[in-house]
Amino acid sequence: MRERRSSTGLLLACLLSFTGCSLSPLARNTAQFSTATSAVVENTRNAYRAAVRLNEDAQYSLLVARYDSDHPMDPHSIRPLIDEKGLEARTEVLDGLRVYAQTMADLSSGVSSPQLNQAAAACGANLKSLGDALSSATPVGIKISDTEANAASTALKALGDLLINREIKQSVPKVIRDMDPNVDALTKLLSSDIDVLRDQASRDYEQILAQQDQFIRHAGTSLAPVERRAEVQRLPRILADKKATEDMLADLKSSLQKLAVTHHALAAAATSKNDASLQARIADLRASAEGLADFYESLSRSK
Amino acid sequence: MAPSKSSPKLPPQPATTPLAMPTTDDQCSSAAPAETDPLALPPALTDPDTIETYKTLYDVLGRAYWEASDLTAKDTIQGARDAIYEILTDLNIAKLEANTALFLALKTKIRDSNKALEEIRDRINAITKNISTASSVIAAIAKVASIAPTLL
Repeated sequence: MRERRSSTGLLLACLLSFTGCSLSPLARNTAQFSTATSAVVENTRNAYRAAVRLNEDAQYSLLVARYDSDHPMDPHSIRPLIDEKGLEARTEVLDGLRVYAQTMADLSSGVSSPQLNQAAAACGANLKSLGDALSSATPVGIKISDTEANAASTALKALGDLLINREIKQSVPKVIRDMDPNVDALTKLLSSDIDVLRDQASRDYEQILAQQDQFIRHAGTSLAPVERRAEVQRLPRILADKKATEDMLADLKSSLQKLAVTHHALAAAATSKNDASLQARIADLRASAEGLADFYESLSRSK
Repeated sequence: MAPSKSSPKLPPQPATTPLAMPTTDDQCSSAAPAETDPLALPPALTDPDTIETYKTLYDVLGRAYWEASDLTAKDTIQGARDAIYEILTDLNIAKLEANTALFLALKTKIRDSNKALEEIRDRINAITKNISTASSVIAAIAKVASIAPTLL
């Protein structure tokens, strides 16, 4: 009996080493890539929102400046920097990228494990019931102990994990490789957008700044000294916001470039065991994205 | 005097037919067909040198604005600056619209990749389901075996 128990224990130990207890490199890499991608996607989405709002502010400022002029601006002529359709297309693509990274991470980490565990456990329990039933119904004398039933469950789980891992190793790297040119094209396209947003934001701030200055000068003495002081103090703050936005968009462009490079390294690592450089790239990308997230939070607080 | 947004958007330009969307980005040059683009700009404004010249002029006028000490001069300078701002804004809006077409094309490719991942998920679920089925079969045999003595 002792010998039987020790052999069962040995079987369990073998199975555990066979299936592996820790995350595979692919699972670890895709999970980290997913987290970093999610941050970059969120930052990019915020950048669009901020740029569209800033441009609206600049146009409203122009509307006010021209209100009493010979050529007042028609409020109907105000149009968004990116229209609804354009924002929707960008949002859908960014969401698609996030879903891609998340699904890849879920699959690589074996997200179906709870169901597999449940099925394997049920199988072991049913085997024990079968043994009990056969033992009482026939003279064969088959008896399956709890330990043996658990071993059977573990063996089935190991088999399931093996089949799932094989499926993942065969299929996921191919999807990553196929997606690589698309990620490259997407990040280039987003970078192209960011260049336009940077260019536009710079002039939007300049317009807001000049129109604020004109407002103060035209108001003259109609502003109380304290009001005038507050309005004048807004001028350097507009310039500080301009600098912060320029820096943020430059960092975002850098993050997008890192995203493309990291995905490329992920595609290469999916078929290779050497992922040290990939780990470094992912850490770099994540740090870059987290820095931007802090900036956006500070923007929300200042509004 | 600066033209208002309600008046024709651009300062006098050579009479031209609408052209393809302007962009300095090679990757965007295939987007936005000329005939259907209502935002098509005069060819003069599709030239990168012209665009850079407008940007430089805007910046130079900006410096002139802050150096001017007379309010009337400031108003005049800013009026001209506003006009250039509107031209450059329209160009940027057009570039972003051209990029929208490229985003729409990419959306399909990303959707295809996500579909491929979903198919892998289905195959993984099928493996789990097979083990569940085996469990059900064993349970059914056990049930038959347990009632067998009563049948014999």
